[in-house]
Amino acid sequence: MSEKPVKGERRVFMTGNEVCAWAALAAEADIMYGYPITPQTDIMQYWTRLAPKYGRKFLQTEDEISAGFTTVGGVIAGKRAFSATTGPGNTLFQEPMSMAEMMRIPTVVIIPQRGGPSTATVIYSQQEVTMTTYGGNGEGFRIVYSTAGHQDLYDYTIKAFNTAWKYRFPTFVLGDGYQAKMREPLTIYDPAERGIKMVKTEPLVGLPGTPGIHRPAQYLRNTYNTEEELYDVVMEIARDYEKAASEIIEWQDFDTDAEMDVLILAHGVVSRSAQGALPLLKDEGIRAGHFRPVTLRPMPEEQMRRAAAKAKRILVVESAYGQFLKLVKQSLYGMDKPIDTLLRPGAGVTAEEIVDRIKEGR
Amino acid sequence: MTREEIALAPNMPKCWNAETKPHKFCPGCGHGLALKMLGEAIDELGIQDKVVFGCDIGCSLLSWDFFNLDSVQTHHGRTTPVITGIKRARPEIIGIAYMGDGGGYAIGAQHLVNSATRNEKVTAILINNTNYGMTGGQMAPTTLPGQKTETTPYGRDPEETGYPTLGPEMVAAIAREGAYVARGSIANLRQLKKYLKKAIQNQIDGNGFSFVEVMSSCPTNWRTNAENTWNFVEKDMAEYFHVGEFKVPGQKEEK
Amino acid sequence: MGGCIKTVRVVEAFVGEYASGKSENAINRSLELLGQNQKVTLVDLDTVEPFYTLRPLKKALQEMGLNVIAWSPEQTMGLGEAGSLLNQEMIWALKNEGSIVLDIGYGVHGAKIFNLIEGAEADPDLKVYAVVSTARPMTATKEDIVTYIRDLGNVDGLINNTHLGSETTPEVIEEGAGIITAAARELGLPVIYTAVCQELADKFAAKDKMGNPIKVIKRFMPQAFW
Repeated sequence: MSEKPVKGERRVFMTGNEVCAWAALAAEADIMYGYPITPQTDIMQYWTRLAPKYGRKFLQTEDEISAGFTTVGGVIAGKRAFSATTGPGNTLFQEPMSMAEMMRIPTVVIIPQRGGPSTATVIYSQQEVTMTTYGGNGEGFRIVYSTAGHQDLYDYTIKAFNTAWKYRFPTFVLGDGYQAKMREPLTIYDPAERGIKMVKTEPLVGLPGTPGIHRPAQYLRNTYNTEEELYDVVMEIARDYEKAASEIIEWQDFDTDAEMDVLILAHGVVSRSAQGALPLLKDEGIRAGHFRPVTLRPMPEEQMRRAAAKAKRILVVESAYGQFLKLVKQSLYGMDKPIDTLLRPGAGVTAEEIVDRIKEGR
Repeated sequence: MTREEIALAPNMPKCWNAETKPHKFCPGCGHGLALKMLGEAIDELGIQDKVVFGCDIGCSLLSWDFFNLDSVQTHHGRTTPVITGIKRARPEIIGIAYMGDGGGYAIGAQHLVNSATRNEKVTAILINNTNYGMTGGQMAPTTLPGQKTETTPYGRDPEETGYPTLGPEMVAAIAREGAYVARGSIANLRQLKKYLKKAIQNQIDGNGFSFVEVMSSCPTNWRTNAENTWNFVEKDMAEYFHVGEFKVPGQKEEK
Repeated sequence: MGGCIKTVRVVEAFVGEYASGKSENAINRSLELLGQNQKVTLVDLDTVEPFYTLRPLKKALQEMGLNVIAWSPEQTMGLGEAGSLLNQEMIWALKNEGSIVLDIGYGVHGAKIFNLIEGAEADPDLKVYAVVSTARPMTATKEDIVTYIRDLGNVDGLINNTHLGSETTPEVIEEGAGIITAAARELGLPVIYTAVCQELADKFAAKDKMGNPIKVIKRFMPQAFW
């Protein structure tokens, strides 16, 4: 057994993409499949530099369709396989990810979001929320962690492998180009030393023994012929998903215990601006709180509603034109709360801009 | 079993799943013959416990529970990358990707080309029946000039839609030393089995990519009786598609 | 068998364009023959869109007493999602005892589909009827119908099945009858009948204005959603 890539705990300073590569190593990922696209490419670049030292593998495929399907292949062969992509690459990934949804294949994909639509920008955006949570021809049976910084990227990349393999749903770490490229300090650690046990992987094909003689053959399906058969299959996935949801959901709340004039809803890196806005708003005499869902699928709906119940108004802030807003509306359905928005597709949002928006809205 | 039952028992390869026989292909379809040769090749190589079988969408999907082999249905055109992913993760597995001409030469052409270029140590088997069977007989990359299909109702016009894809010729041109490339036909089963066996052995030996196209029949969509079905395979198709080995590891190529 | 009425074996194939009403007319004809105390087999031979034809109705039709040869839902487990397939039952359909009605999706190969059916070429009773609706743009004019029927190959007669679904009026049917009858004359073929849905039955006498017999048909296909 090769030595562990990360031993003990260490305070380090690195880029977000570098963090993801180290986290995958620490999580005992076996193999990465991928196709280059900015701003994801450095994950592959660090992985290809580090992986051979620890006996891990890599395949650069011909496109993201192939990257997704080879990842699916690696997982059904029983390996902790992952990929990373973004933007138009994420679009191509939707086909293999719908197969993973149907066949309960625990793939892990890291997505540092790009601006969109189309080729657009590579810097900063939250415009792949709809696609990552509900993309493909499916029902959104996926798990999506939206990270807000480098410690998150490390923690949730490791966690993504365990959530995926425990519940058998395709799992995504949704960052953005800014987190990918910016540098900040974080603590990297050996998960085992923190008591985090990596969920054991197991093969779905290539099992020991001769099929038909020592054991039945494995027949993995995604094609069905009748409405009834498909309905049963999908409803079973839905039940499993609903059941797992309460164990998977994660969130953070800030100053949401007392009555609020305004509750700021934001996810990912935008949450950091929302957190920064709270003391500024306090200085202005505005009672504000902030709720940040860490999982966008499944969404911590009850928790969000509880926080929303204590606020007079809601402000949804995101670097997209209403993709997170849609998820919020879906979660708060039936609540009689005015919702204001600060929607900046593909652009950053500062704490001051949030403060200004709230003051303007009063 | 009584002697009569033994005499009547179909001569089934050992690695076939008898519970799913008779198989689901239309009467007269060439898939059954190709899969019989593949089954015999697997038996003779003694690798039933090592193979993972991937099947494409289209009629090739009907092979999903055909064998007592661990098998996976993929998406249309995506069997080569799924099997490639498995092989890269677990090199001890013998990966077989089974697809039609649409899956290999149209929607999945980039995967075939790049697996061949990278010399992936997998075996791809492609059934060429000159049309899309499962969807009811539309034009495939292999449809012959002048051939009527549901999407070439006046016959395939090469000016508009190009000429039939010559798959093994293409793969042989881009694959490097170590690759095995051949085209067989259901009209010559002994030869076909030999090709399939060599293609799998090539993977076992770790040489490189192996690719076998199989000229096959689709009487349902061709609307042919038995005689015309064989005429189409042996005469019309054979005029355009030539059987033989196009690349054999260690064998000097003729220039 | 004593007491059984001696009947003539009827073998009829209903062919035509997509959505021309082949299945509807085939089902009605089958039930009509059944009503004459015949043993009747109804065969679904649509190889282009087989999962969208008789499959959902199979059970109900069998309960009425028809022998139905079609894929049934439970037989399709493990087939492809589209299921363009024939089985032995279909290929040997003409060997069934009694009368046989075939519902055939022609596709571009026209009458060549009979190459797939054992004994079709030599069957002396086989009659092929083309179901035509002038409400379908591809067969809206006399010229188009003539070309279309000639492309099909051997056809023994035309059926006027012109309709607009729930918007059908007697005028629509009569207009279709006029065009289709003109086409039939040019082709030297008879118009076997003009189909009229039950709802409009009282608006017609025994014959349409062109002198073709009227046949009242019941709609079954809406129950199948397609």
